[in-house]
Amino acid sequence: MAWMTAIFARNRRYVNYGIVAILFLLLLVGGGNLRPWSANLCLTLFYYPFSEIRNNIARLNDAAEDNSRLKNSLTEASLQLNALAEARRENQRLREFLGFAPAEGYRVIPVKIISLIQDGYPLAAVVNKGTSDGIEINQAVVNRFGLVGRVKEVMTGHATVQLLTDPSHAVSARIAESRQIGIVRFVPGEGLIFDNLPADADVKAGDVIITSGLGGIYPDGLAVAVVDSVAPPKIDIIKSVWLRPNVNFLSIEELYVLKGGAL
Amino acid sequence: MKIIPYLMYLFLISFHETILGDLTSVGGVAFDMTILIVVLTALYKGEMEALWFGFVAGLVAGAAAPDILPYRVILTVVLSVLANFLSNRINLESIVSRLVILAGMVLINRLVITSLTSTDEIFFVLFRFILPSVLYTSLWGLIFFAFKDGIITPQKVKALF
Repeated sequence: MAWMTAIFARNRRYVNYGIVAILFLLLLVGGGNLRPWSANLCLTLFYYPFSEIRNNIARLNDAAEDNSRLKNSLTEASLQLNALAEARRENQRLREFLGFAPAEGYRVIPVKIISLIQDGYPLAAVVNKGTSDGIEINQAVVNRFGLVGRVKEVMTGHATVQLLTDPSHAVSARIAESRQIGIVRFVPGEGLIFDNLPADADVKAGDVIITSGLGGIYPDGLAVAVVDSVAPPKIDIIKSVWLRPNVNFLSIEELYVLKGGAL
Repeated sequence: MKIIPYLMYLFLISFHETILGDLTSVGGVAFDMTILIVVLTALYKGEMEALWFGFVAGLVAGAAAPDILPYRVILTVVLSVLANFLSNRINLESIVSRLVILAGMVLINRLVITSLTSTDEIFFVLFRFILPSVLYTSLWGLIFFAFKDGIITPQKVKALF
């Protein structure tokens, strides 16, 4: 052992060069695992902390850009809100001037669907709030796309919403442009139709259908559907109008129950 | 051989590769921190330090591209040992001689790496990236040498303002 130490001590320079040469050759020809392993080791030891810092800086930059964009959107939205509030006040003044009853305001109660009752098509949805949250029978239920249905049954902690696609459910509605009134109902096999519309009614594909406010359940002006197609009346005096609902009833998730009262 | 300063040099190399390189690049031209540190170590330390630091610095600098890792390692080792060899045979008192060694090593390093990795026209890369990088690295080397030789001191910098 002593002679080996003596040789290393005497030829220290060459031994070092030899070790470096061997390590280089191992890196060169031992390619399979050694090269990725040594690269990974170096990356983990020396690069990882800095790459994390770099990623965090990039994320902060993204967040700053988002923040700036959202601030702009917020400013635009608040300007729109101001304009709408002004329009609302003007509307109220004009209604008072014309002797109309003031428009009813609504508050919304957000609810989540806990089960969907189907029979080939969705009939009803059970939601996670009930009387204890202020939900009552016959309150209108909407989501951000439009009318979903009405509260049919209510218990303490949950309620059942009768959907627009329940064939026993009908909603009084009107064409937003021509203001003609009809009944929206779901016919199995046909889909959503706009019924009770006279043969000479002014309706065409793309017209927007909104609630009429008649019947006392639904407030007026809620988006219901868009006219999909219109068939010319043959012997019937009633026009056949097929609708495309605003709401996709198979993917509803979060709903809002409209509760009467000041906004 | 104290290991902590060398570890700090290695962290400086990885810091430059990940963050500093982008921040200090001018017109897409970054300075070659790896060769700058390797040459400075080779100029001011012994042969064994130059050999081993060149090896490990090559490993760290080439870790991002395992395919050419052995070539990066041997190239850095050769440049480090060569710089150390030259430093024993030239007048190190002169800043110019040290700058010539530094610039030569950066040029060789960049040319070899470019020939291994780049598919672009070599003359375009040479004039657009390599030579500006050599000049930029030499500038940093000049600043370092000026500080090291006491040509620039904090007092002198303060006196300017």
